[in-house]
Amino acid sequence: MLEYQNLFNRVQVHTTVPDPGVPIDESTWVRQLPPVFNRWIGIIGDAQVGPIYLGATGVASLFFGFLAIEIIGLNMWASVGWDPVQFIRQLPWLALEPPSPAYGLSLPPLQQGGWWLLAGFFLTISILLWWVRVYRRARALGLGTHLAWAFASAIFLYLSLGFIRPLLMGSWGEAVPFGIFPHLDWTAAFSIRYGNLFYNPFHMLSIVFLYGSTLLFAMHGATILATSRLGGEREIEQITDRGTGAERSQLFWRWTMGWNATMESIHRWIWWFAFLTTFTGALGILLTGTVVDNWYLWAVKHGVAPSYPATIQISPEKLNDLRGQYQGAPPTSFPVPVAPAPRIVVPPADSTAPVQLVVPAGTTIPPAAIKPPADSARKRP
Amino acid sequence: MKRVLIVLALASFAACEPGKKESKQVGYRGVGQEINYDRSRLKEIAAANVAPKSLPPAPVDTSPVKWQNVQVLNDISNAEMYRTMNAMTLWVAPKQGCAYCHNPANYGSDEKYTKIVSRRMIQMTRTINNEYKSHVQATGATCYSCHRGNNVPLYGLWTFTDENQWQRAYLDRPDVRVQSVTIKNTSANRSSIKQAENTYALMMNASSALGVNCTFCHNSRSWATWQNAPPARITSLYGFRMVRDLNTNYVAPLNTTFPAYRLGARHGDSKKLSCITCHQGASKPLLGAQMTKDYPALWGSHGWGRGGPNDTVSVGFKDLRSRDSIPTDAGLILPPEMATPLPAPVRGKAGASPR
Repeated sequence: MLEYQNLFNRVQVHTTVPDPGVPIDESTWVRQLPPVFNRWIGIIGDAQVGPIYLGATGVASLFFGFLAIEIIGLNMWASVGWDPVQFIRQLPWLALEPPSPAYGLSLPPLQQGGWWLLAGFFLTISILLWWVRVYRRARALGLGTHLAWAFASAIFLYLSLGFIRPLLMGSWGEAVPFGIFPHLDWTAAFSIRYGNLFYNPFHMLSIVFLYGSTLLFAMHGATILATSRLGGEREIEQITDRGTGAERSQLFWRWTMGWNATMESIHRWIWWFAFLTTFTGALGILLTGTVVDNWYLWAVKHGVAPSYPATIQISPEKLNDLRGQYQGAPPTSFPVPVAPAPRIVVPPADSTAPVQLVVPAGTTIPPAAIKPPADSARKRP
Repeated sequence: MKRVLIVLALASFAACEPGKKESKQVGYRGVGQEINYDRSRLKEIAAANVAPKSLPPAPVDTSPVKWQNVQVLNDISNAEMYRTMNAMTLWVAPKQGCAYCHNPANYGSDEKYTKIVSRRMIQMTRTINNEYKSHVQATGATCYSCHRGNNVPLYGLWTFTDENQWQRAYLDRPDVRVQSVTIKNTSANRSSIKQAENTYALMMNASSALGVNCTFCHNSRSWATWQNAPPARITSLYGFRMVRDLNTNYVAPLNTTFPAYRLGARHGDSKKLSCITCHQGASKPLLGAQMTKDYPALWGSHGWGRGGPNDTVSVGFKDLRSRDSIPTDAGLILPPEMATPLPAPVRGKAGASPR
């Protein structure tokens, strides 16, 4: 019942005519979609929709983004034989995979990962154009470019995963596939391949900033909502007059944790936490496989991971046997195993010789016929 | 709106598993090395993995073998031969009977492909029981371990497609390591993330076949560690080597024996085994029921089949296994009261004992 006394409330108050916004230089492109009011949109945000300013970069970004999604979607659809039902049913598991590691950084045929390169290229163009749009729209309104640089941090992580690190590793095959579960599977495989990414200190930092971001958002949102009944949200200056919303909120935090961020610095805290989440994450990605190949061993060496007593005593020779070999080169296709029919040699009735399996002369034995190529035959340097 | 939210919140409980849970520690304390069981699920597994009763032991019989064209079971008595043939019929072709493999007018004839295949399968079973004690231990394997009364085992048989690269570890891929043993990257390990995904897929395949999670075999803080992992990981490794050997030397070569309708559609290759073919959802096939000890024909004679000084897999294992194992290796994973009672032990051939 007190809501009407509070500027922060759920009552949808608006003018009779939608607000077109402040005048800016519109010589290159005019704002579009005449603004309208929508009550349902008003429940989750401002009730006014529009005007939208697309601009040349916005149109180009949407165009390239559409191309990328189109390539990804059509490749996924093709992978289920153009069956629309299976496309919907299996969509979470469908993928557009990067080229095989055997292609290195060369350009593979379209069906062997070329489509992935094209989709990634268009998606990158689209994202970069959208960044330009964010930057230029902020400038046009006379705003700072904080949003653009926070977005740039996320783009840095995206480029590290899909472009910079594959370049450093010399293989497009190191990049992330497009797809819902496939990119999660890739994440799991990435962690497994490089000895548990949780021991990567930059991954640790990224998690700290990620969880820290959510904590700071919750603290800030709760503080402002809690002080809005005193008009705290309107006190944009550093108001610490006795009894105001800002004074009470700051005293609250000093009471509970001994110290408080200011009305200004809380926003810098949150901006930096968000920025550093993706930035430190990108650093961790770039160091993986290039500088450190096994983060668990790195953590043991530097005292990050504790050591536990062995539960099984294994001799070095046995350990070597258990470890086995690294995976060889991935074969590009399955050879057809045309194995010779085994022939049973029957010893004479009075013989004590064991029954033996022999392979007809002049034929190769089955395992050799379908053996993968030697490790040295791989293309990667 | 509130009512809808309450109904939705209550409906979310439907995702919970109501059964009683049990947790078993399989590693050093404090590192999350435990396996969780749902008792109602265990009941399902127990009901689906009941071993058939063993046939009564064969009488002592010293008469010479009277059959024609006996190539693999020629080291057992006539009576044991009858008994083994009856058991195999019950395990593999209970509906069709003897005629599934034999020409009733001439039992010595090799005219049916099923007879050639079953001959090879008997050799395979003896290889498992002789050379892969590292994996099957004293439990061993019989035809029933996989067939369960079906002509063709129900689970896990696969043929080549262009997509199932990861299943090559069940056939000819030597090993599935992807993690380096050094901090720095070296030229020794060029494994890509895609290969890690192959290994991952293989591990998930084994995990679902056994109805267990990762920590049944692994210490998840470092997948590569052997010393800090449960000993089941060692048993499992020899299982992979066993399946690879069986597929390469016993099952894949049969693709020229099988009729076309038994072969894969894409490459015309014979079906191959994987973990689930035997395990069928239980960490121990048939919950560890000791069937093999009652069928001496399936142990085979010593030195039968492969093996010998060049067989590093089985020889190397025999040397080191007893020293390296710890007692929990043999511990019952399934709580004893959940396991089906074992059939009463039946003496096989006089004087014989399973190795």
